[in-house]
Amino acid sequence: MTLLKREEWQGFVRDVDWTPTYVDEEAIFPEWHCGTGKVPREAWLDWEESYKVTYPEYVATQREKESAAYAVKAALQRSNNFDHLDEGWKSATKIHFGGVALVEYAAVLGELKMARFGLNGAWRNMATFGQLDEMRHAQITTFFGHEFIAKDPQYDWTQKAFQTNAWVPISLRNLFDGLMIAPNVVDLAIELPFTFETGFTNLQFVALSADALESGDVNFANMISSIQTDEARHSQQGGPTMEILVEHDPVRAQWVLDKSFWGCARSFAALSGPAMDYYTPLEHRKQSYREFMEEWVIDQFIHTIEDYGLKKPWFWDEFMRGLDTWHHALQMGLWYWRPTLWWRPKAGVSKEEREWLVEKYPNWETVYGDKWDVIIDQVNANNVEATLPETLPWLCNTCHLPCCNATQSRDGRWRVRSWQLDYDGRRYHFCTNACRQIFWKDRDNVNHETVIDRFLAGQIQPMDVGGILAWMGLTPEVMGDDPDYAAWTRDYVGRTASGLAVPAGVGA
Amino acid sequence: MSAPQVELGVEDRAPELVPLNAIFATDFVQILVPVTTANTIAEVAEAVAHHVEGKRVRALPYPKVVFHNGRRLPPDITVAEAGIAPLDHVAVEYDVPEGQS
Repeated sequence: MTLLKREEWQGFVRDVDWTPTYVDEEAIFPEWHCGTGKVPREAWLDWEESYKVTYPEYVATQREKESAAYAVKAALQRSNNFDHLDEGWKSATKIHFGGVALVEYAAVLGELKMARFGLNGAWRNMATFGQLDEMRHAQITTFFGHEFIAKDPQYDWTQKAFQTNAWVPISLRNLFDGLMIAPNVVDLAIELPFTFETGFTNLQFVALSADALESGDVNFANMISSIQTDEARHSQQGGPTMEILVEHDPVRAQWVLDKSFWGCARSFAALSGPAMDYYTPLEHRKQSYREFMEEWVIDQFIHTIEDYGLKKPWFWDEFMRGLDTWHHALQMGLWYWRPTLWWRPKAGVSKEEREWLVEKYPNWETVYGDKWDVIIDQVNANNVEATLPETLPWLCNTCHLPCCNATQSRDGRWRVRSWQLDYDGRRYHFCTNACRQIFWKDRDNVNHETVIDRFLAGQIQPMDVGGILAWMGLTPEVMGDDPDYAAWTRDYVGRTASGLAVPAGVGA
Repeated sequence: MSAPQVELGVEDRAPELVPLNAIFATDFVQILVPVTTANTIAEVAEAVAHHVEGKRVRALPYPKVVFHNGRRLPPDITVAEAGIAPLDHVAVEYDVPEGQS
């Protein structure tokens, strides 16, 4: 039997569809899932992916990728590569494993929704490949993280993190539920493949891979590079969807893009930012977080919005200013509330590291150096207790990250400002003006309660630090602590320190 | 129709919990600080400072002042008298004499 050539049959099968006769179209493709809105249903007939793939090709390619990734893993398992990795770098990987493994699974659900409710056969076809991709990513990430549990119980949070109520997983669940679980498929295609996968995953998967190789973690670099090759294919569901949406409803296209870009930017500042500018050993840093963002996210985002005739989001100036502040404040918050983490956050503020930070961020000493100096002096005074939290940071009602973004006023002072909103009988607080604006416009959506909301509602008992940590699922063997206090405080031993709080029970 | 109820003045009511969103001077983050309606503003300033002063912000030898809705509050009135409600934002600053900042 002679097989037909691909180009002879693919045109017929890639967008196979049918005309229902027994039920209404609306019953099969209900608006609340399909989300066509102002776009006429027939407009979706023009949906076309730019890179076409058939199932046999897909399977063959994926098999090769899997074999290659697992072969490298098997080879490295016999080496002592892991034992020589820096603690800071290991923390970067723990964040990734715990923060990403089950997000990949949530993406399976998102892709399945597009595979079922996309209003074009070719789109549903691409989403079917997409869900197979995401299943592979969930599996490979979980499996690679699992290998290290015997060496370090914090890797157990690869699978556990998303099952807990720790504040970082709540923040991530909030973001990804918004991007993948809640939306109709049109919004989903703009939020997930178009914004997150085209715009942001490059940063975590390509840029972080560069840091991984520099840090000697070939296994991790190999895993995330393997994943990224899939993103490049299934993320193309975003483009054709955006093209059609922009033509018929540009206002909606702009809003969905803007709010998802903002949500992703906040999360990446919290996790990729500290990993790149503080955890990765100085000698292994390729670029600063800001430089990575400029090269991998911002340049591409600007090109993309120009290509589709969209505008810069209303928050653009606030976002750009935040590149110099957000992740530094979040690093300080992660470090100070370190018992709530499943990794060992490095402070990363030795004299040499601070020189690097100031070179990359000229205002760093003015805005953050003074507070790190007090913390350093407390560590050197043997009063680590003063560097541990006794209350919660206030968490933003939109992004669920601490309200910690200082801005400079006209008189030159840097202060964290209050962004609050009274709505439906209660007061909400936000970390930024844009988070406040997004909450307002999306106020009728289901919003997760922040840890502060849950604490004040009495859901966390007993209402103390021990109660909070137990409620978050942190056990003593996992609870985060600085891996090496001396590494960043020894440069400052012996200097005169004033204005320090004294330990309880010691006279002033 | 039910008869009108007597409203107790703020000075007569038993203390009620008032969780605040608070920031101390140049600190990097807003924090949760629980106070009560019976606490004085001076006590609020100390309750907020407890988490930050000498721990992240170097202690300075100046009195502290509390700002609420842009208003500088006198230190000796209570939270109830100042009209501070649960979930309100307060900012605590050092009262640095002019020319010494």
